[in-house]
Amino acid sequence: MANIELKNVTKSFGKKKALNDISLQVHDKEFFVLFGPAGAGKTTILKTIAGIELPEKGLVKFDGEIVNLVEPAQRNVSMVFENYALYPHITAYDNIASPMRSPLYKKDEDYIKDRVMKVAALMKIDHLMDRLPARMSNGQRQRVALGRCLVREPKVFLMDEPLAHLDAKLRHFMRAELKEMQANFNTTTIYVTHDYMEALSLGDRIAVINNGQIEQLGTGDEMYYTPVNEFVARLFGEPEINIIDAEFVLDGGNKGVRLLNQIKSFDIPEDVYDALVATGKTQFHIGLRAIDLSYSFERQTEHDIHGQVYSIEPIGNKAVLNVDVNDSILRTVSPPDLNAEMDSDIFVSINMKNAMFFDAESHELVVRHNQAQYTKAVK
Amino acid sequence: MFSENQSLLSRLIQNLLLIIYSIFALFPLFWMALITFKSDLQMFNTTFFFTPTLENYKAVLIGTDYIKTFIDNVIVSGGAVLVSVLAGVPAAYALARFNFKYKEDLAFTILSFKFAPEILVILPLFMIYQKLHLYDTYLGLIWVYQLITMPLLIWVVRGYFEDISVEVEQAAELDGYPWYSVFWKILLPLIKPGLVASALLAFIFAWNSFTFSLQLSGFNIQTVTVASLRYIASDTVHYGQMAVAATIAALPEVILALLIQKHLVRGLSFGAVKG
Repeated sequence: MANIELKNVTKSFGKKKALNDISLQVHDKEFFVLFGPAGAGKTTILKTIAGIELPEKGLVKFDGEIVNLVEPAQRNVSMVFENYALYPHITAYDNIASPMRSPLYKKDEDYIKDRVMKVAALMKIDHLMDRLPARMSNGQRQRVALGRCLVREPKVFLMDEPLAHLDAKLRHFMRAELKEMQANFNTTTIYVTHDYMEALSLGDRIAVINNGQIEQLGTGDEMYYTPVNEFVARLFGEPEINIIDAEFVLDGGNKGVRLLNQIKSFDIPEDVYDALVATGKTQFHIGLRAIDLSYSFERQTEHDIHGQVYSIEPIGNKAVLNVDVNDSILRTVSPPDLNAEMDSDIFVSINMKNAMFFDAESHELVVRHNQAQYTKAVK
Repeated sequence: MFSENQSLLSRLIQNLLLIIYSIFALFPLFWMALITFKSDLQMFNTTFFFTPTLENYKAVLIGTDYIKTFIDNVIVSGGAVLVSVLAGVPAAYALARFNFKYKEDLAFTILSFKFAPEILVILPLFMIYQKLHLYDTYLGLIWVYQLITMPLLIWVVRGYFEDISVEVEQAAELDGYPWYSVFWKILLPLIKPGLVASALLAFIFAWNSFTFSLQLSGFNIQTVTVASLRYIASDTVHYGQMAVAATIAALPEVILALLIQKHLVRGLSFGAVKG
């Protein structure tokens, strides 16, 4: 149970800046997710909080107290490492028991046995307790590592991709389990992942990290509906968001945008129009989630965009339908059993109400319809 | 897939080859032990059948101060290995874990001590030792033996440290162990095979060292390798006595190697760390 704060933390490895002026605050009992591409600096943030890496500049605070000079052992944090970091020479049981046998967090053996077996049952690894890490699969090692982390009652759990090496079924199960545990444990958790579904389903709040900086910090809904820039927009959602060039049309009473070389312009909502006018620019990028595009094989309205079927990728309960419109590819979703010839004609209609408008130069969000509904303040 | 006969045949050949090899390897030892029991008279005119005698042992162990040279050798070689372990393990850790300027150059310099022929450096060393009054002292020999024992130990143990991911140490720290417990409980068991094997090899090299102890020690301290020379007199060579000296000199190495055999098998810790 702790409130954790990073203030202007900067850290470099050689010439590469791993963290660049990171400030964030994790509330007590919060499930906080650090999300971003590989090499963004997520792990470094965790290690800085754990005290394994020391920041060059900036402060790390636990419950308002500066802990920059507190030894990792004394910080009372529990961490899952991405490469498991199991002790190779002792069994899974001893690995999980290790934190409770250290001089700092010493417990008696009966208590240890009880705790370890409970955690092992939870992780479904109770049959592996006598094995050395070398004789386990990666998924099993990862669960032992997670067990060693959860067996304690620390101020904060730090988890570095703890589910990355599990098979899909187990991953979904463990995800639900973690969510449940978090609610019961009343412990702050900081969780690193590069899987947007984990981020959205687990995180009370999410910080999107890129190049050692925080791109956006907020709830999952904020990330999904009002990403601050195209980078964040692309990270969330499967298939990836469509981002297309759009030209703002100002002639006469025509309030709309033109895109994809279509003759007809698309009407846009009033609030969006006002915001676009306010920028004084005419070139934008428009972000459209796949579900905001619908398709049909016959022209329904004059606004439908004519294209050709480019490819269909079934992904289980749906398929990603790629449509070629004047050499740009639009991604939309279809039922997995969609029967369509390659290169056959197809018509796409756009739900402009859900479109996000980004500045063409800075790639930052300008506006979306009913923005206030999704967020209190755009950061 | 081998049939029953073929696998029997191949096993037979394997064993035959191994037997031939072990005869090849062990015969010199056997021959050395054998001639310790021969008198000088029967040395050249008998092979396997002769009248065994303990005269050679008596002459060497009681007639000369061989036992003292043996103890000297234990002190010097054992001391050299001990110093190498105490200084070399931290050095190996630093070379494996920390980044500092000229790290690889330093590591290579340490290794290069093993390249230089001892005879090349012996003259300047001799003069330095005379000036520093290290000539013919235990400290002096232990010091110079570091050239033999330290590089080997550092390079082997460094490799072991590098194979342990740094996160394992960090995990132990977060588990609440102070640094010395991390070293004692986590690192030491993982480097043990390498440490034991390299320490044993270092001991054998130090034990067998000839040039340094010949040049840098005199009458106070004598090692067994140098002492063995005494049995070459101006008129005759006492092969029997020399064989006794050599046999006794070889004993500690053989016994140690047998004791430590199981640690010489490398590979306890791998796979788990690297995952």
